[in-house]
Amino acid sequence: MTEPATTDTHATGERASPGQWLHTRQQPHRRWLVLSAASTLVATLATIALAGLVAWAVHGTLFAADAPYLPGILLGGLVLLALRYSAQALRDLAGHRLAFAVKQQLRADLLRQARHTGPTRLAGQTTAGAWAEQFQTRVDDLTGYYARYLPARQAVILTPLAILVAALWLDWLAALLLLLAAPLIPAFMAIVGMGAEQIHRRQQEEENRLAGHFLDRIRTLDWLRRARAIAATEAEVVERSHQQRRLTMRTLRVAFLSSAIMEFFSAVAIGMVAIYIGFALFGAIDYGPAGDITLFTGLFILLLAPEYFLPLRQFAQSYHDRAGALAAAQTLAPALASPSDPMDPAEASAPADEDAAAPWLQLEGVTVHYPGQRTPALADLDLAVHAGAHLALTGPSGSGKSTLLAVCAGFLPPATGTIRRHPMARHFAWIDQDAHLFHGSLRENLQLARRDTIPDAEMASALQQAGLPLEAPELPDGLDTAIGEAQHGLSGGQAQRVAVARALLSGHRLWLLDEPTSALDPDTEQALLDTLFQLADVRGLTLVIASHHAAIHQRCPQRLELAPATPEAHHA
Amino acid sequence: MHNETRAGLAFLHRVFRQRQGWYWGAWGLLALTWIAGIALLALSGWFITATALAGAGLLATLDLYVPSGGIRTAAISRTLARYFERLVSHEAVLRSLADLRGRSFRGLAALPMERIRAYRSGDLQTRLTGDIDTLDAMPLRVAGPMIAAALSLTTTLIIALWLAPWPAAAVLAGSGVATLAVSLLLALAGQRRSHALVQARVRERVGLFDYIGGLAELLAYDRAREHEASLRRENADYAGRQRAQEAFSVASEQIVQGLVGASALLMLVLALGWYRDGILTAPVAVLLPLMTLGLGEVLGSLPGAWWRAGESLEAAGRVQHLETTATQARPPAELLDPLPRDAALALHARGLTIGFRRERPLLGPLDIAPARGRPLVISGASGRGKSTLLDTLAGELPPLTGTVSLGEAKLNAIATDGRYRHISYLPQGLQLPDTTLRAILNPSQTALNDAALWEALERVDLAASVRGTDEGLDYRIGEGGSYLSGGQRRRLALAAVVLQDRPVVLLDEPFTGLDTATQQRVIERLQPWLQDRQCILVTHAPEQLPASWPHLDLAMPLARN
Repeated sequence: MTEPATTDTHATGERASPGQWLHTRQQPHRRWLVLSAASTLVATLATIALAGLVAWAVHGTLFAADAPYLPGILLGGLVLLALRYSAQALRDLAGHRLAFAVKQQLRADLLRQARHTGPTRLAGQTTAGAWAEQFQTRVDDLTGYYARYLPARQAVILTPLAILVAALWLDWLAALLLLLAAPLIPAFMAIVGMGAEQIHRRQQEEENRLAGHFLDRIRTLDWLRRARAIAATEAEVVERSHQQRRLTMRTLRVAFLSSAIMEFFSAVAIGMVAIYIGFALFGAIDYGPAGDITLFTGLFILLLAPEYFLPLRQFAQSYHDRAGALAAAQTLAPALASPSDPMDPAEASAPADEDAAAPWLQLEGVTVHYPGQRTPALADLDLAVHAGAHLALTGPSGSGKSTLLAVCAGFLPPATGTIRRHPMARHFAWIDQDAHLFHGSLRENLQLARRDTIPDAEMASALQQAGLPLEAPELPDGLDTAIGEAQHGLSGGQAQRVAVARALLSGHRLWLLDEPTSALDPDTEQALLDTLFQLADVRGLTLVIASHHAAIHQRCPQRLELAPATPEAHHA
Repeated sequence: MHNETRAGLAFLHRVFRQRQGWYWGAWGLLALTWIAGIALLALSGWFITATALAGAGLLATLDLYVPSGGIRTAAISRTLARYFERLVSHEAVLRSLADLRGRSFRGLAALPMERIRAYRSGDLQTRLTGDIDTLDAMPLRVAGPMIAAALSLTTTLIIALWLAPWPAAAVLAGSGVATLAVSLLLALAGQRRSHALVQARVRERVGLFDYIGGLAELLAYDRAREHEASLRRENADYAGRQRAQEAFSVASEQIVQGLVGASALLMLVLALGWYRDGILTAPVAVLLPLMTLGLGEVLGSLPGAWWRAGESLEAAGRVQHLETTATQARPPAELLDPLPRDAALALHARGLTIGFRRERPLLGPLDIAPARGRPLVISGASGRGKSTLLDTLAGELPPLTGTVSLGEAKLNAIATDGRYRHISYLPQGLQLPDTTLRAILNPSQTALNDAALWEALERVDLAASVRGTDEGLDYRIGEGGSYLSGGQRRRLALAAVVLQDRPVVLLDEPFTGLDTATQQRVIERLQPWLQDRQCILVTHAPEQLPASWPHLDLAMPLARN
């Protein structure tokens, strides 16, 4: 699979309105829209022909000298029916295809964007949970817009227009009557649009708040149970739901009015048209075109009137799809619009020095800016990391330790300055404060370190060296022990040891560690550091550790003290 | 499979029966909406034909005003019925949602702790919010349309039998049966893989969590592109299957509409034939096919109904599973309630080994029986099982061997709530609900007054900071207590424990995040409160606690004390 082009989404992403953004995303796939428009037209024409056929059959049977041949009418009608409903199916399928294509491309873009943004900037923007939610649910929120709303918007113009033209051709009087009802359509559309979006958004917010409350109470069940607050919390959960119900109903009573008005007009329009035609046929009224009306005209209009209003009703129904999609677009557009300098350690660095004695990492005049922050996170920094160094990056929080480490890793491209990497430093091992354990077995987690299959014995030995022997009680199934999201039985310190074992297995000799012990208690910290530095000596590793822990500083011969950013200098 | 379906239906029935008045109202209004729509169309056709005949002098007398009044009534009652149907059905659903939330919360709360933790966070989220929302489709989009469709169809059948020879009714019944069968078959075919789809979705979520959470590692070990490509592949596969399902739903919708159209055509040809044979009058011959056509709206809702029935039943199965496991997991209710609070209900453990697997005990055997007023300090390197020991002593984890008892009763024979009547447990990983300080300190809203709350805050040296806020006791602590520092969170929890006022107190690292001076102050103020309680306190820094408290170092060879 080739990487899909991001087209012009970057250029328009942040500035464009959500509606424009939705439009931009559909552009590459507009052929499906053409198909849906064509099918709508075919279906409408078949419907018109069918109405004509039926009206003619009745009229002919009642008044014509030679009555129509009924089996022929049945056959012709069935053909038209088949045409109509297969065209409609085609229209719906085209809509779904469009939604499918847009969503696929969007998801591919989101995945690549995450990789390009890199872990450091991503952590500043979102959480894994929120990101996954965006990827799955928010993107799915677009389905209705592309699959239903856009085709319905086409139909709301095309179908009445086609009916009018066909009616004009068959019977000018029928066309005139339908035309009289036409000015209602834009009025209806205005009514539908009125406040629908706002109401939808407010209700969504309210629902999210309620769901958030519910989830919060579930997450804190342990506490609630120990505090014996279960019954009180259950009552609270129920009461909150009822509160939301009362609030929602208040808005709905008004919101449903607009659709009721529409329902009223389309029902009354049919009724009124029927009554008018009836009275005209009876000869009870003589104004307007009443004198020329025949039973054919009457039945033809009566059969087409519902079809004339149907697209409008469908449009109104799909209108909330649009509101949902706009809300989703508002969160998706920025996620794809942030600057995305390609983030690849090997590519982002200046040509390396082949000299064996050259430093593994050399930073010159590196400055890093986070978007929206006035002071640079790092300003004009020089640093050289030589082979075998044990370098601690120190300084108070906010001084840029982790930022500098991310620059060393290539997770964060500097605004200015150059980074030179020794060939030995192209690849590195990474350990941060909460080692991520991937969902799966311990073996799968370790295998991540390299592409070739790692033998069990090597894994066992790496674990042994990392201080988590396979015999540990927390690993009842050895390498097959399931670890991951829930971290069954593994403590924070043990998870860090899995990360150390993984780093060992990678064979990389530059290790970048971001606050590796800050989630650990002091005893565990010392034990982990013993392991780490012993390994570093034996394997000749180069360590760069960002940490504010004294225990780490004591063990590192080299230290780089970063000063906190000084906002004063930038305030005029 | 059939049993599951029946159980799911029974569950849904139980849930929604509570609001059955509202649902019957909504269904009735829906039927009225549909019948009014059919009447509008059929009556209009009848009226036009009759007037045309009268106008041509083929019909002697015709009352114009009764039928046109009927048309107007149908138009207006359709509008009103639709409006109120929507209001009533939303009211009903929102009421049921409140019931369901309460119910599933109760169900979850009754699950044993380890069961809840075993639920993966992502899975739990999807399960609860999604499933509860899916459930409400059952009364509104499944049962409602079916019942209202049955009512509408019966009405048209009666009219057809009254006005025309039996084949007219047969056409109507046939179209009803055919649409029901076709839509059911297509829904079944389309839904066969829906279970797999839900599973795939959950799996995908796990993969996404790993991709974002482990992005640094993936990039470092040059595996990010691979992971990305596999996620994209999986998603393409998922989306493809989803599309196949959508195609089924589109097809069934259009086929049903086509069937209704064909029935109307058939009815037209039949009725015109009867008219020619002099069996029917012309207006009735037009009324019959239009009435059949009006059924399109009614029968067109059936495919969607079947479709959603499957989803709702699956969701019901999952939510119900939660409730049944909860009831099964409940221990025999041997409550301690009748026992007076100050009875000699001492916590003691005998021959206790702890851990997660019998073959690999973490610790033990141990005998523990702390004396009142002399807190037992437990220390030892991380990973030795200090926290697991407290979990076991609190009765949240069954012991591997040996017993933990409260007075004469074995701990795991006591219902959860009864246990916490006597034991306060402050574990290490602490998650406080996002609510006010007052609600945390006084969760069951008992008769504690503010003075008592302030006194407890004073004891943990937190009163001054709380006074410093504008809201005081009404200060919200944010999600996960994020508006408080780690040390403040622990002290707040400690103050809540003080207010719980239970005879046994288990504390896991209660003072992390506190500087030495604050810690000393808190210990000093807690000591009088600890006087008449059994307390076990786990710490990594025993030297900072009063030397007079007995001390058990797990790093030492274990001796049975």
